[in-house]
Amino acid sequence: MKLRISPSLALFAAAALAAVTACSPGSSSGGGGDPNVFEFWSFSGIDQQRDVDDYMRAHPEIRIELTEVGSTTETAQALTTALAGGKVPDLVLIQGDDLPKFVQQPQNFHDLREFGADEIKGDYLDWVMEQAVAQGGEIIGIPTDVGGLAVAYRKDLFAEAGLPTDREEVSQMWSTWDDFIEVGKRYKEATGKAFLDNVPTSVFFQAVNQVSQKYYDDAGNPIYDRNPEVKAAFDLALRAIEADISARISFGSDGWNAALPRGDFAVVSAPSWLLDQIRRYAPDTAGKWDVARIPGGAGNWGGSYLAIPARAQNPQAAWNYIREMQSPEHQLQHFLDVGALPTTPSVYDDPQLTGKRDEFFSGAPTGEIYTQALLGLKPFHMGPDTGTIGTEFLNALTNVEQGSGDPATAWDDAVRNIRTAIGA
Amino acid sequence: MTATRVTATPTPRAPARAPHRRPAGWALPLRERIAPYAYIAPFFVLFGVFGLIPFLFTFYIALFEWNPIGDQTFTGFDNFVRMLGDARFWNATRNTVSIWLLSTVPQLLVALVLAHVLNHARLRFALFFRMSILVPYITSVAATAIVFAQMFDRDYGLLNWLLGLVGIGSIDFVQSVWGSHVMIAVMVAWRWFGYTTLLYLASLQAVPRDLYEAASIDGAGGWAQFRHITVPSLRPVIIFTVVTSTIGGLQIFTEPLLVARTTNLTCGPVRQCQTLTLFLYEQGFGQYQFGYGAAIGVALFVMIILVAAVNYLLSARIRGA
Repeated sequence: MKLRISPSLALFAAAALAAVTACSPGSSSGGGGDPNVFEFWSFSGIDQQRDVDDYMRAHPEIRIELTEVGSTTETAQALTTALAGGKVPDLVLIQGDDLPKFVQQPQNFHDLREFGADEIKGDYLDWVMEQAVAQGGEIIGIPTDVGGLAVAYRKDLFAEAGLPTDREEVSQMWSTWDDFIEVGKRYKEATGKAFLDNVPTSVFFQAVNQVSQKYYDDAGNPIYDRNPEVKAAFDLALRAIEADISARISFGSDGWNAALPRGDFAVVSAPSWLLDQIRRYAPDTAGKWDVARIPGGAGNWGGSYLAIPARAQNPQAAWNYIREMQSPEHQLQHFLDVGALPTTPSVYDDPQLTGKRDEFFSGAPTGEIYTQALLGLKPFHMGPDTGTIGTEFLNALTNVEQGSGDPATAWDDAVRNIRTAIGA
Repeated sequence: MTATRVTATPTPRAPARAPHRRPAGWALPLRERIAPYAYIAPFFVLFGVFGLIPFLFTFYIALFEWNPIGDQTFTGFDNFVRMLGDARFWNATRNTVSIWLLSTVPQLLVALVLAHVLNHARLRFALFFRMSILVPYITSVAATAIVFAQMFDRDYGLLNWLLGLVGIGSIDFVQSVWGSHVMIAVMVAWRWFGYTTLLYLASLQAVPRDLYEAASIDGAGGWAQFRHITVPSLRPVIIFTVVTSTIGGLQIFTEPLLVARTTNLTCGPVRQCQTLTLFLYEQGFGQYQFGYGAAIGVALFVMIILVAAVNYLLSARIRGA
């Protein structure tokens, strides 16, 4: 009996074949064999689109497919999944807090020295560059920006509360963190409204980034539970919570985006990259803001790195982008456009940077303010679990701030949670 | 008409031959033996690759300390021992069970009542209602989570504004344990009630109208008809939906993930609404401990099997009753 191929069977076979080929990897867009196309993953809120557009304008034959994956941690998670066995992008932007875990596994990335990173690594701040160097000396990432620390405040709301509004006076007024809390209490008494957005990020995260040693000592041992500087920052945060000066809104939440234009808090601790977010979420408050020095002086929060995964299809094109767009001149340009501070100290004296006045922030000399914040910085060693430890401290403080946690046990709870999480 | 003479002359018989029987079993030609397997192969191949192998691999990974982008070391049952002593695991279990009950029970009850109402003979615009209750089911989960999270916001959410109008103070849904569970349960119930209603409705179509008419003639009101006609007729479907809601409800993941994004993967600073699947994801992709995450996956599997077994025993008892 001959096997009759019925029409339906033929159709089924064709459909199955099509489905199987559609599932095969490498058939989707991005790179492939074309040396002029590469895929770039960034997180949102950092405006990489502007840089990408500039680069494509300067090099019309190159096409960059930029994807803003989500928040910094979501991007890091997507990258982890991709590295573990999926399709990797050619270029990826990794935030500083997420970087240590990747630097611990340098085999997943191209050692940028093979493209010539050794020649340019001197352009960057050494303590920033050091974060991206693996144990064997491999350079995993090139820094794109650094945060610096300052405080953005609403001049008009300060005036209503009878507080000084000139940025020099304000900086003097809160030269220490305890003074900062006092100012907050004065504001709250005068207006009845919240002074700052929340204590964990605006106070604790800033104070704990001003230390000389953070959660790890210089040899790489975890000392988060024994470090008096960390404990001091934690206790400071508890005092700030007790003073009841915060709006208790988590940074980056929908509530924060809603509260910002309404002026439901007057002050927010702002690294340089946060200024752009204020500009975008509260455009109608232009000119009402100003920037003062952070209590305690120097410090840094944030900063990102560009890295090339090992299985990237077009690493050379990605490197060319890094080489050009992260040069001192381009980082300076990025600062002038978007406000994120360059990591290349050679431009810190550039008159364009020192003379930059941000109109949105009442003509504040943001270049000067943030580079000043970096000058007194004592760099601390970041270990592989710095992010996790910081998050647990933050969670413990958030819990107290929201009213469900007991301040007396908060430190012990945090330390216990950290031990459970990282096993040390 | 001439009577036909019927003679008993035996008709000449064909020479004796073995009776022709279709070959069966091993006697079938190769092509015919393989054909059935070929027809069902696509499903089993896909199931094997995307279902069975990953499932078995999970048990394997659970015995390791497995960094997805680094090394893998064999640790035996360490992950399970650690898991059983981990307060976060039990917290996630409690959250999962609580959210499951809060989302499943009201959802099924509402669906039951709605199906009864939509089945009413003289309902106007019946088709419109039947189609529109399915809209939540086809809405993107991520979009739903984001919108609901905004609605439940403590300071600027719609719900707290409405509560303020009636004089109740604002409730912090995300921060409180019960509030976050209610919020997620509302999201899940909103998504699935339409699907369940249509399932019940389809079953109700098979119930003869005369039963309802007879009941009306006998003087039974709506509630009595519901209790004595609708619910008993729907028994098999109710059992089915309970089983599927259980299996789905114990694995709720997307809503807790997207509702408290600022706390990253813990759904609240003290893991108020972290379900087991989210805890698994946090350990796997947040902490780079695939082995521990796999152990949690195994625990979840055991839990679901147990609950499904209980469901099965109860439903066998009910069916037999």
